[in-house]
Amino acid sequence: MIEATSLTKRYGARTAVDAIDFTVRPGQVTGFLGPNGAGKSTTMRMIVGLDRPSAGRVTVNGRPYAEHRAPLREVGALLDAKAVHTGRSARNHLRAIAATHGIPARRVDEVIGLTGLESVARKRVGGFSLGMGQRLGIAAALLGDPATLILDEPVNGLDPEGVLWVRGFARQLAAEGRTVLLSSHLMSEMALTADHIIVLGKGRVVANAPVGDLLGSTGSFVRVRSPRVDELARRLGQPDVTVTSVDATTLEVRGVGAEVIGEVAAGLGVPLHELTLVQGSLEDAYLSLTRDEVEYRTGAVTGADAAGRAGATAVSEEVAR
Amino acid sequence: MSAATTAPASARATLQPVPDARLRFTGILRSEWIKLTTLRSTLWAYAILTVLQVAMGALLVMTQTDAMAAGAAADPAAAAHAAVQISTLGVLFNQLVISVLGVLLISGEYGTGQIRSSLTAVPTRLPVLWAKALVFAVTSFVVGLVAVFAAYAVTWPMLQTKGITSSLGDVDVWPHLVGAAGYLALIGLVAFFLGALLRHTAGGIAAAVGLLLVVPSVISFIGAEWARVLSDWLPGSVGQTLFFGGGVFEPWQAVLVMLGWIAVVAVPAAILMRRRDA
Repeated sequence: MIEATSLTKRYGARTAVDAIDFTVRPGQVTGFLGPNGAGKSTTMRMIVGLDRPSAGRVTVNGRPYAEHRAPLREVGALLDAKAVHTGRSARNHLRAIAATHGIPARRVDEVIGLTGLESVARKRVGGFSLGMGQRLGIAAALLGDPATLILDEPVNGLDPEGVLWVRGFARQLAAEGRTVLLSSHLMSEMALTADHIIVLGKGRVVANAPVGDLLGSTGSFVRVRSPRVDELARRLGQPDVTVTSVDATTLEVRGVGAEVIGEVAAGLGVPLHELTLVQGSLEDAYLSLTRDEVEYRTGAVTGADAAGRAGATAVSEEVAR
Repeated sequence: MSAATTAPASARATLQPVPDARLRFTGILRSEWIKLTTLRSTLWAYAILTVLQVAMGALLVMTQTDAMAAGAAADPAAAAHAAVQISTLGVLFNQLVISVLGVLLISGEYGTGQIRSSLTAVPTRLPVLWAKALVFAVTSFVVGLVAVFAAYAVTWPMLQTKGITSSLGDVDVWPHLVGAAGYLALIGLVAFFLGALLRHTAGGIAAAVGLLLVVPSVISFIGAEWARVLSDWLPGSVGQTLFFGGGVFEPWQAVLVMLGWIAVVAVPAAILMRRRDA
């Protein structure tokens, strides 16, 4: 359980995290979603005490992280895959961390096995790929068998196999009753991994809801293609149903299910070329939520909607701190 | 890696649960010992230190003139002094080796990002600083002791052929050899805390080497009385009291002055370490 109250971080005149409140609950995967520079990493760093909040507080299982007797038993954090001395081997790095808490060497070998690092455990970290660095970071986070896991962009740099592994792993950790908080700027990734999503934009909480609710808010519709759409449109036209004509043979229908439309068409004897339920994507929900919150926007593309999309998808890399 | 990627295993210990794991200072000391001994740079620095200490002593004996040798041979006190100077001469160079190592030990953590792993494991932070300092100081003292006594052992027979004999049991000999090792540990700590203060390898090394080499020579050009007093208090001059003897301080005072230098750098380093974002 992570609880943040009016948590604030200012760097000079810039406010990176602006008095946010949120709770991350055990037993589910909570996703921190937001464009680069939204304050995700800063918030995570404040949870484990690497950054000092300018105001407000954040607790893990009821206490500030630094006040726990065995911090690594409370929280395992992967905040930065490169938080490792490049001259040391992976195993020695883990041994050094484990030693602080008196965690035995067999647990070190265990997390090496869990993350699939056996073959490179004795190699120096300097030669690791980003993906292996991520695995090492996850191994370090698991050392204390913690009740809470905080993973910042854990799939960054992983190959598709690694992405699947992290996704399954996060879900399993949550299923074991742990608190799992992970961040991403990839909405599609979140849709597949998280149960609950906290969307950050410009240091504020823009949305805080179960994934299903966020998806629902995007509004799904049924796409209908038929040579005789006009007849169908006339028949479907009711107060709580919206029918939008896309072109001469295509309709977008909101407020009524595909089954009903199919039956109406059958009743009229109208042939259907397509009847598709189009689910709103988390991408759309996310973009509409953060449209105004994107910090580093590239030049606008013509068309209002295109501009929003281009702005969020072509967000430039986060300026190195 | 396919074993781990196909089916994610439980993250819980599959053998036995982690027994009573909690943060202890002894654990942090062990952690710092592991960190110190698992870097090649540390091992290299200590190896270079030992070789230099012996080699410079041997070089001095070989190049010493017969006239100097004759003078030392006639007087037991002079003989003891010569033996001490020869086995501790390498300290003049090794103070730089140990300073660079001291800075690297902490600035390397900041430079690579390792410090974030270290401080996540020990969020109270300062125990990391103290444990690192303690492990480094004790290791440097022991390695310094080995190096200086090795230099004495190697040069002893060489000196004897020139008629200069000394005894390790002599109070003019062994305290200086121990003092040399002690000075290496103390000056290493000054550099270590400079590194902790500046958090930057190049800056830390420049500051430490500047304090040992540049500051004394600049001050020597200033004619004022205060400059002369200040130069007596600089770590380099105080250190010579410990291993060569002489100087304005008694050995115990010299140790106190060195501890003072350490405190002057360590206190702000500790305060900033607690306050700054890692």
